[in-house]
Amino acid sequence: MSEDQSAVATEASRPGLSAGPTSEFSLFFHVKPGEGESIRAALRDLQETPGYRPGDYGMAIASIHEARFVLFDDDTRLAFVTSFDGSWDAYMDDFLTSGPTLALFDAIFSHTEGYDGLPDLAALQAFVLGAQQTAAAYARNYGGTVKEIRKAQRVNDAFQQVLDDPDAADALQHPALKPLLDEAAD
Amino acid sequence: MESNSLELDDIQSGALHERPTPYVGTYLLLRIDDRAAGRELVRRLHGLVDSGKTSQDPAHGAWITAAFTYQGLEALGVPQDSLDSFAPEFRQGMAARAAELGDVGQSSPPNWEKPLGTPDVHVALGVLSSDQARLDAAAERARRAHRELTGVELIWRQDCYQLPTGRTSFGFKDGIGQPSVEGSGLPPSNPKEKPLKAGAIVLGYPDETGELPPMPSPDVLGRNGTYVVFRKLHTKVAAYRRYLRDKAASREEEALLGAKMVGRWQSGAPLALAPDADDPKLGADPQRNNDFLYGDDLRGLKCPAGAHSRRANPRDALDGDGSVDVRLHRMIRRGTSYGPMLPDGELEDDGVDRGIVFVFAGAHLKRQFEFVKTQWLNDGIFVGAPLEKDPLVGTNDGSGRFTIPEVPIRRRLQDLPPFVVTRGGEYCFAPGLRALRWLAELDT
Ligand code: HEM
Repeated sequence: MSEDQSAVATEASRPGLSAGPTSEFSLFFHVKPGEGESIRAALRDLQETPGYRPGDYGMAIASIHEARFVLFDDDTRLAFVTSFDGSWDAYMDDFLTSGPTLALFDAIFSHTEGYDGLPDLAALQAFVLGAQQTAAAYARNYGGTVKEIRKAQRVNDAFQQVLDDPDAADALQHPALKPLLDEAAD
Repeated sequence: MESNSLELDDIQSGALHERPTPYVGTYLLLRIDDRAAGRELVRRLHGLVDSGKTSQDPAHGAWITAAFTYQGLEALGVPQDSLDSFAPEFRQGMAARAAELGDVGQSSPPNWEKPLGTPDVHVALGVLSSDQARLDAAAERARRAHRELTGVELIWRQDCYQLPTGRTSFGFKDGIGQPSVEGSGLPPSNPKEKPLKAGAIVLGYPDETGELPPMPSPDVLGRNGTYVVFRKLHTKVAAYRRYLRDKAASREEEALLGAKMVGRWQSGAPLALAPDADDPKLGADPQRNNDFLYGDDLRGLKCPAGAHSRRANPRDALDGDGSVDVRLHRMIRRGTSYGPMLPDGELEDDGVDRGIVFVFAGAHLKRQFEFVKTQWLNDGIFVGAPLEKDPLVGTNDGSGRFTIPEVPIRRRLQDLPPFVVTRGGEYCFAPGLRALRWLAELDT
């Protein structure tokens, strides 16, 4: 993609609001007339894809916190709303070339107006960014990125495992471990 | 605004007034096969039920409370538009709510004691007294009300009585944590908690939101009524004792773990006021045994956030959440104990049925009973522990977990089995006295 094109795209994208390292990204599309049912079916397929199934927690894009697809106005409109760690703008080219996401989204976007399909990535990028609306307000309730949260969960799991050990109380008495001991009581 | 003072004389006294201690009682379920006979029954019950303040005079005898299921109101010929005006959960009935309530597996309606949960249950009568002779006399009056009426059938009976220890089957004093209600004339047991608006418990008055709760129509039927939940809950006392024995190194530790699960010691003394050892004097003192909050113990070092009592009534512990108004989820409980005590020290199940008949009274089935049961007892999201349920009464399946905050290191009980099995129950409506008369005089 040429220098020129991505500059234009960046400008058009009016990047989402951010809260710390995370920013919101909200896209609004028009469903092609008469394709409400097919787009619902495509979304059901997405929901059954590994990573998107209930309980999976492993979406193709590792840096989004959550993603929702909402059909509204009698299935004539589609919203795609997500929170993303880093800058969508900066990574836009990468998404469009990084395999799995593209194919998944292609099946959904093909039911929306103005979508010319693959493989014209420049057109795809313009299409996506043209659908973006910046939030009027955005807030988050925790500060971590997806990677930090996952790391924190692993550390907590390990910590809980340590606490389950009968010798933990003794072991944690070492002054170097004081910050951990402070978290050990509940 | 018109006067909101409670019409105590029109309200069945069971909802607003404490049961006697000690007590003996019996629950009767009736089926109405003939509409006219059903109405005659209601006419007679109108003369038997107690309203107003329960007399503290032991000579008063016994009090009788009458309530109806949806099918019962239908059997009496309550018009459809009126039936439709009742709360949806009441219309469905408790058995239909089993999946939501966690009544699954052993506790699921197909395994319930018959006729609980079937469309046969129409009328529920509760008779409570302070002694057996008076109970017998009152039960006899209740029996006369239905006996020679062909077309009304007694289909279930459950006796209950307070165990000699004054405790329930797991060994704990109960019936302590109770909200006080504006206008009921009873002093609050927790001076730190403002009395609930009358409409939280009795229909026809503003509730905690300042609004009138949805009330069945016509007004004469709904006003001064209250929803009643009763559930026969079998307690697996031997399994409970064995579990504690397994996890504890001493009798003292067993008592402590038991107290951590409940939030109170067996005597009733709350962990919030007696964190380290039981204090039977405190437990027995109604002036003090409910006079506490959790705000100084948000980490749960005294009383775990997951303890039964703290789950069922978190008091001020969730005030910082910004999304929970604990007062919307308060309830009146009128539970009683059934079955003999498992002998002290016995760790093997003797096959005897024992437990509590849990009784709820309130204006909102969903917001009060169902909310507390599903969000706070059967789930742990609200205390930041989605994997944990109520250690005593939650729907644990053998993989349950319970965290006990403790310095220096929290303790975690694993592999919690279920200690309580639902034997059945019903959602009922206990009408006011004018409403009973209205029901008796229906001519549909
Ligand atoms: C067999 C089942 C149950 C047993 C053995 C049991 C036992 C107890 C005990 C020992 C207490 C502490 C004493 C007291 O404050 O009265 C208590 C409190 C309480 N329980 Fe239960 N309970 C059971 C089921 C339930 C259910 C199903 C609910 C509600 C859906 C419930 C709601 C409450 C409430 C609201 C309190 C008072 C909490 C407070 O105000 O501090 N209980 N229960």
